[in-house]
Amino acid sequence: MKRKAIEWILGVLLLGCSLCLSVGVKLVFHACGPMEGGKWMTCHWAEQAVLVIGGVMTVISLLVLFVTSGGMRKGLALALVPLGIGAALIPNTMIKLCMMSDMRFHSVMKPAVIIFGIAAAVLGAVYALVGKKD
Amino acid sequence: MKSLAIKNLKGRPVRTAVLMVLAALLSFTALGGTLVVASLGKGLDSLKARLGADVMVVPREATMKKKFEDIVLQGSTGYFYMSSALADEVIQREGVGQVSPQFFLASTGSSCCSIPVQIIGFDPDTDFTVSPWIKRTYGGELGKYDIVAGSDLNAFVGDKLSFYGVECTVAAKLEKTGTTYDTTVFTNKDTITALIQSSLDKGMNDFKDTDPEHSVSCLMINAADGTSPEELVNDINIHCKKVRAFRSGDMINGIAGSLSGVSQMIRLLIAAVWVLGIVILLLAFTMSVNERKKEFAVLRVMGASRAKLAGLVLKEALCTCLGGSLIGAVVGLLVLLPFNGVIEKTLALPFLLPNAGSITCFAIAAVALSVISGAAAAAVSAWRVSRIDTGLILRGDN
Repeated sequence: MKRKAIEWILGVLLLGCSLCLSVGVKLVFHACGPMEGGKWMTCHWAEQAVLVIGGVMTVISLLVLFVTSGGMRKGLALALVPLGIGAALIPNTMIKLCMMSDMRFHSVMKPAVIIFGIAAAVLGAVYALVGKKD
Repeated sequence: MKSLAIKNLKGRPVRTAVLMVLAALLSFTALGGTLVVASLGKGLDSLKARLGADVMVVPREATMKKKFEDIVLQGSTGYFYMSSALADEVIQREGVGQVSPQFFLASTGSSCCSIPVQIIGFDPDTDFTVSPWIKRTYGGELGKYDIVAGSDLNAFVGDKLSFYGVECTVAAKLEKTGTTYDTTVFTNKDTITALIQSSLDKGMNDFKDTDPEHSVSCLMINAADGTSPEELVNDINIHCKKVRAFRSGDMINGIAGSLSGVSQMIRLLIAAVWVLGIVILLLAFTMSVNERKKEFAVLRVMGASRAKLAGLVLKEALCTCLGGSLIGAVVGLLVLLPFNGVIEKTLALPFLLPNAGSITCFAIAAVALSVISGAAAAAVSAWRVSRIDTGLILRGDN
């Protein structure tokens, strides 16, 4: 019973981190808007990349919550580890960004994506370790 | 008894979680507020050190349109010029000690973003404000087309940046100052003259009649011995009509006033949260002890001394507050350190985080303070529990 509660809490936290990466990156931690003339800056495409990875992580997190097989849940949680790390590497490591560090992408989106990406990776690893097999 | 405290906390998870959240809030507020106030103070000191000179002289129009203040204090980009002849007129005034010219330019959109970058040129032979600061990270001579990038620019040593079609190489990156100079590019007189000329050739400079070889933007002046900066400022303003002189201290005074106001508000907020938090902790521990009177009476009957009962209540309080404070401190650091850029931009004041050692000390102090406050709030309940009349409680006559 206790382990089930821990799994549920971890699952909900994983879903929260994944939603912050998918929905949050568009609504709250978004990058700069379009330039004059409608052209998008590089940071917009980095935001799109995080959105896709965050969407995949959200689906996996939902599966972790509702799949009945314990072994499958652990495997799915483990899959969130490389995905979380990958999301954290996108801003400024995989996709080089604007020169001004006080622009929105550097000051808001990059730290948020790194924090939630690493948090998802850690939570996924913990779930895989403590989750019940069956 | 040691494990009984932990078991009691585990047995009431909701109550334990609420008390931990309260302790976390106290610790978060103390650490967050202290870090913000300390960073504002450090930012102001950094700004004073960066301005460097006693007196600054700029073309009159730069102060009428608040251009110079916006560049130095607000992070706007801009440029303005006065002729060398006018600059010489100022330099020859009595009371002028050390003097060094600076040259301003703003780039147009850089490679990927349409945000201009402020460029400031200095004369290495006479400069005394920028060079000492650059020498802390770069001891060499700046060659032609070498630039030094502020710490908040996403450019690193060896990178090539293009301004008005002139390719420049980043020779060094400066330490963070918490001021608008963090998003500025510095270069020597030869390079900026070439950049200004290139901007004129491309028709992208607002001052079409400027002769880059015989123009300066600003004079940084230290008053000579025996002359006060105020006397020098008055003398220049009276006798040199097309320029405006002012003390760097006067420019900072407005910022210092705003900073003081913000710091005061933060301190009041910390105090309010702490008073409320301690009152709630006191009530929570009192209620918790009241509802467990029979439990404590049974423990007394089983042989626990009054001191052991009081110790049990204090141990529970310490464990709860320590756990909550650590969580609050970690959350505080996770919010403040990665998002300090947002805080700086929102406050629009100089903002420079303290070094890692100071931050660690602030975190330890916040946790310690929160734990001590929680223990103090629980001490009242601990004393009361040691005074219970076992017989009365067990008979139900409480």
